[in-house]
Amino acid sequence: MTALIASSSVLTCLGSGKRTFQAVLDGRCGAGPLRHARAGALNVTAGYHIGKDDPERLFRARTWLVRCVAAALRQAWIDPRRQRVAAVVGTGLRELASVEAWALDPGAGRQPFPVDRLDFGAAVPGVADVVTLSNACSAGGHALAVAQDLIELDVADAVVAAGVDAMSRSMLAMIGRVAPAPTEQVRPFDADRTGVLLGEGAAAAVVVPEDSTQAARPTLGRLLATGLSCDAQHQTAPDVDGIRRAMSDAFSRVGRAPGEVGAVVAHGTGTALNDPAECAALKAEVLAAGADPLITGVKGAVGHTSGAAALVNLDIALRILSTGRVPPVVGLRRPLPEGEGMRFVVGEQARFEPRRRIVQTNAFGFGGVNAVTLVEAA
Amino acid sequence: MTAAVVTGWSAVSAAGIGVPALVGRMAVAAAGSGAAGAELGRSWDGDPLPQPRGHALPGFSVREQLGRKGTSSYDRGTALAVVACRDALAEAGIEVDDATRARIGVVLGTTVGSFKSTSDFSRETLVQPRPYLVNPVLFPNTVMNCAAGQVAIRLGLQGVNATVAGSQQAFLASLRYATMAIGRGYADVMLTGAVEEFSPHRAWAAELAGSNRNVPVGEAAAVMVLARMEIPVWAGRHRDAEILSVATGYGLGGDAAALTGCVAVALRRAGVQASDVTTLVTGEDSEEDRRETGPAAAALGHEPQRLLVKRSLGECDAASGALALAVLLALHRDGKRDGELSLLTSAGTDGAVSAAIVRGWGRDGAYRE
Repeated sequence: MTALIASSSVLTCLGSGKRTFQAVLDGRCGAGPLRHARAGALNVTAGYHIGKDDPERLFRARTWLVRCVAAALRQAWIDPRRQRVAAVVGTGLRELASVEAWALDPGAGRQPFPVDRLDFGAAVPGVADVVTLSNACSAGGHALAVAQDLIELDVADAVVAAGVDAMSRSMLAMIGRVAPAPTEQVRPFDADRTGVLLGEGAAAAVVVPEDSTQAARPTLGRLLATGLSCDAQHQTAPDVDGIRRAMSDAFSRVGRAPGEVGAVVAHGTGTALNDPAECAALKAEVLAAGADPLITGVKGAVGHTSGAAALVNLDIALRILSTGRVPPVVGLRRPLPEGEGMRFVVGEQARFEPRRRIVQTNAFGFGGVNAVTLVEAA
Repeated sequence: MTAAVVTGWSAVSAAGIGVPALVGRMAVAAAGSGAAGAELGRSWDGDPLPQPRGHALPGFSVREQLGRKGTSSYDRGTALAVVACRDALAEAGIEVDDATRARIGVVLGTTVGSFKSTSDFSRETLVQPRPYLVNPVLFPNTVMNCAAGQVAIRLGLQGVNATVAGSQQAFLASLRYATMAIGRGYADVMLTGAVEEFSPHRAWAAELAGSNRNVPVGEAAAVMVLARMEIPVWAGRHRDAEILSVATGYGLGGDAAALTGCVAVALRRAGVQASDVTTLVTGEDSEEDRRETGPAAAALGHEPQRLLVKRSLGECDAASGALALAVLLALHRDGKRDGELSLLTSAGTDGAVSAAIVRGWGRDGAYRE
């Protein structure tokens, strides 16, 4: 049995998945001034915020997550009260921003934190099985792997793979204190890239079995496989061999060849170390196998959405499959030397042809945890 | 049905380091002592403690265990996890080499990673003089999956590497993740455990939340070496336990029916008779605390002998379930309980519940293929 993606719902600084994709096609960047109080003192001046509200309002991450999960289930025609539905949520910081805001509030901070509000069970009745994975920036990819496992093992009729992250004050302070100068915009794969910025984001995709009953239901694409690996080298520096193993794991799991890849939605964080390592791994595993994929990435447009990043990439990949358009890498003007010979989409959108090819999406996290997902048109 | 086999295990806790320390401690606990925890004094690493007692291992030294090289940036939880994983591999008799390392994965349960590392790092960003720069080497310790990553680096384990956040549920959720990772071919062996370090931060959190009334705060890293049923030759020849099933669920507002249902699912998946379950291992902290025993007994139709691990080893939060299984296997070590079935449960304050059915064996005891 194989798995399909029935629906996908996304929320970024650029809006819904549809709006986000259109904005990225248009080359727009969602970065703006960091709205946290005393942002300047943090040595972080810019960020990719969702909406216009106070970034320290309580339970924003939960609100976004519920919105995406509920929308994805609705679009997939799934009723959790009638079907076996599980949810796997990937996140780096969960509601840490709320915990911090709560603790610093002179009134609320004296009361115990309402832990029951961390769970979204009440907002999505019937989802009885919820697992939270905290695999840093590849959490969403690991969630997607678990979702496919649960479907192929027939443990559930539908699984929501979701991811969410908001910005916490402590995370911003840490980022500000390990960077010599503030970054204004993420510029993936650019020779003059200056580092990463956080993006607020949430995403949810519904994974269902590919069987006869699914034929008449909503379908966005076929979920081929997610390859997983651990660098076992360094906590923060990426490792080309580790990334390559996640890629080869993905292809071997589904028995397909890297030569079939037509486009890559890259991890592309715009940091000094990630982008060259990702280029080297793609060259060795994908280009060397005879593929010459278009390479794009969204973090220049929506920031690094951390726990949601892999699923934001998945949404972009599914829209590439359905529209045949590959958006440009927002923020990329002059590709890095390590990317020579790779087809980065710069400035204008490109055509995804032929449409039967595989779209690969990458997500790598601290701890050396890598997740590479492959999808194709169903 | 068997989901996976335990070919070795180890633990670091207030009882000490390794299997013999835990086996010895259980003999002492059976005699009815040790429940109050060790005398830790008024402070810990220079920070005041709310209570002078706790189930910690104050003499634990990462340098003594692992040497100086590569360990200077470890936080306590990472060090505990690395030592427990190293010892668990040794207990299983697994040699990690280039032929096997990509087939060995790691999954560890946590609450929030190292609460102390995150707090200390955040505090540094506020109290450092200009230009406010903090030690970037300590940054990875603030990430929740730090311990699992360092285990992989130290022991050279390149298989799937995951961290499951779930506090009291963390271990059983990790166990489920591991059995699935093995069943789905991501790895042949999964180091599966959970870690929670002792720190003034956790001690104060428990004090302010009032959760330390029955048992003091503890610390532990406990790790099982899980292998698929057809154990590869290199993955160890012992069979310390069989994980027959794991189930997880959720009940709004701590609904007792959720755990009852979860236990029923675990029994069905394991394919065993409820009447054959002889031991119930819960996260309860006193005889009077029946939050898990009640719903579990309702599913079983009887009340097995209870094993309350927290009473002798403290409140270890995310590591509770892993330490409980380690204690159960320590009790199995002498072979007198060979083949007995146990039910492990946990229930969190947020409504999450989980259950597992385990069959334990003494080392090289009565188990025969």
